[in-house]
Amino acid sequence: MTGDLAFALRGVGCVVGNGFALRDVSFELPTGYVMGLIGANGAGKTTTIRCLLGMQGIESGEIELLGHRVPGPVALRQDVGVVLDHTYLVGDWRLSEVERTLRPFYDRWDAVRYRQLLEEFGLDLRAKVKDLSRGMGMKLMIAVALSHRARLLVFDEPTSGLDPVARDELVGIIGDFLLDEGHSVLFSTHITADLDRIGDYVTLIHGGRIVRTGSKDEILDAYRVVRGGPDELRDLVGVELIGVKESSSGAQALVRTEEADFLGGGVLVEVPTLEEIAVHIGLSSRKPAAGVPDGRREEFA
Amino acid sequence: MTAVARMTVLVMRTVAPYRTQGLVVFGVIVLIDSRSLVGLIPALALLLAPLVAAQPFMVADKADLQTLYAVLPLSRRTVLLGHYAWALLSFLAIVITGTALAALLAQAQDMPFGGRSLATLLTLSWALFAVNISIQLPLLIRFGYTRISVLATTVPLALVMLAVIRVHLDLESIQDWLPLFWVAGAAALATSAALASCASNQRQRS
Repeated sequence: MTGDLAFALRGVGCVVGNGFALRDVSFELPTGYVMGLIGANGAGKTTTIRCLLGMQGIESGEIELLGHRVPGPVALRQDVGVVLDHTYLVGDWRLSEVERTLRPFYDRWDAVRYRQLLEEFGLDLRAKVKDLSRGMGMKLMIAVALSHRARLLVFDEPTSGLDPVARDELVGIIGDFLLDEGHSVLFSTHITADLDRIGDYVTLIHGGRIVRTGSKDEILDAYRVVRGGPDELRDLVGVELIGVKESSSGAQALVRTEEADFLGGGVLVEVPTLEEIAVHIGLSSRKPAAGVPDGRREEFA
Repeated sequence: MTAVARMTVLVMRTVAPYRTQGLVVFGVIVLIDSRSLVGLIPALALLLAPLVAAQPFMVADKADLQTLYAVLPLSRRTVLLGHYAWALLSFLAIVITGTALAALLAQAQDMPFGGRSLATLLTLSWALFAVNISIQLPLLIRFGYTRISVLATTVPLALVMLAVIRVHLDLESIQDWLPLFWVAGAAALATSAALASCASNQRQRS
């Protein structure tokens, strides 16, 4: 096992109940960094996280988490905090009961820190879980994770449905968490703007397969956005267009950077944002837009 | 505190906010059976104890506690044993309370209570409870409360009642079999826990 990795998935495959499958999923995160797991709804982000946490059995490959092979010892969960897009606590528990209930399970539970964090997040100990807003619920789950001194925080779509202020607060909380070099974060989202500020590494997932993984800069360098009139894109030869979007004013698509050199002067080539990369990759498996022949589109097979 | 004890406390805290519902059912059963002391303790064991044992699953489905169990440093075996321990402890509490209440009612109605007939009632209650729980918990663990709540409560009850009717059990006829009833109940629960362990593994894979 590799000690300086927060986690690693190597050739992971699994089939879940609804027929969806992960195939040959491989990516890793060094300790001390934030990785964004980006994909459209249904791309496989949650299934990947469930496999990583040992909640979902795998059929091939191997998973390493904090130096242990998954499924590892139960005590490994002392070091992992999980924040989902919903609370997984009894709705009628007060926040003081949450602490009383969870504290016995964690060796390093810090009751003082829990109360400090609730105060910092503006959460009342007497409030009930079911009465918290989505943003407040997410903060509660973060408070729980930080109170048992987790080394790895796993967020699964924590910002979906949050307002910009709450999303900004979350970014600040993650920044504080990362002040300790032994701490790492996996952050699954389809809102890529969250990663622009805090993401060190990015993994793109689509249809249960990893499209690309690497540092954020590598990912941004790997693609270019090409814009032009519909005819101009249609006439491109030897270039694979990823997720063509067409409108009355023109068309745009993603291309691999190494293929951008083949483009003529009639189209505009720009460095994409993470969001543009995610959008075009998400579009790549959908029905082709009118006007561009099917053969001009790439497939992520 | 052992891991199973911690899990049992977690289950207890899970249902604690909803204790009023259990108290209402308890009150209704006591009201109905208050003139038939023979039926009170078995009725509590057959109707209330399984409801209390199943209630954590109902709350778990609603609050996604399966995720909590997977995130907490708990093995699946511990989660399972915690549910069984909760079922047993709640049964004990219900039967002790029911027995005390029945003794008070007997005194108030100047009826004989205790001795061998009480031992028989308690044994019958244990057997009814054990059979019911042995069927119910593996189903709840495998499928969750939402998918099989009707199946989990109705079918075991119907099976037990049918058996009682067909065999024409009465208190006299089972007195010689009391030790066997206790052993059979315990064996049923142990077998059930083993089955539930398999069911739990299957649920994780699906």
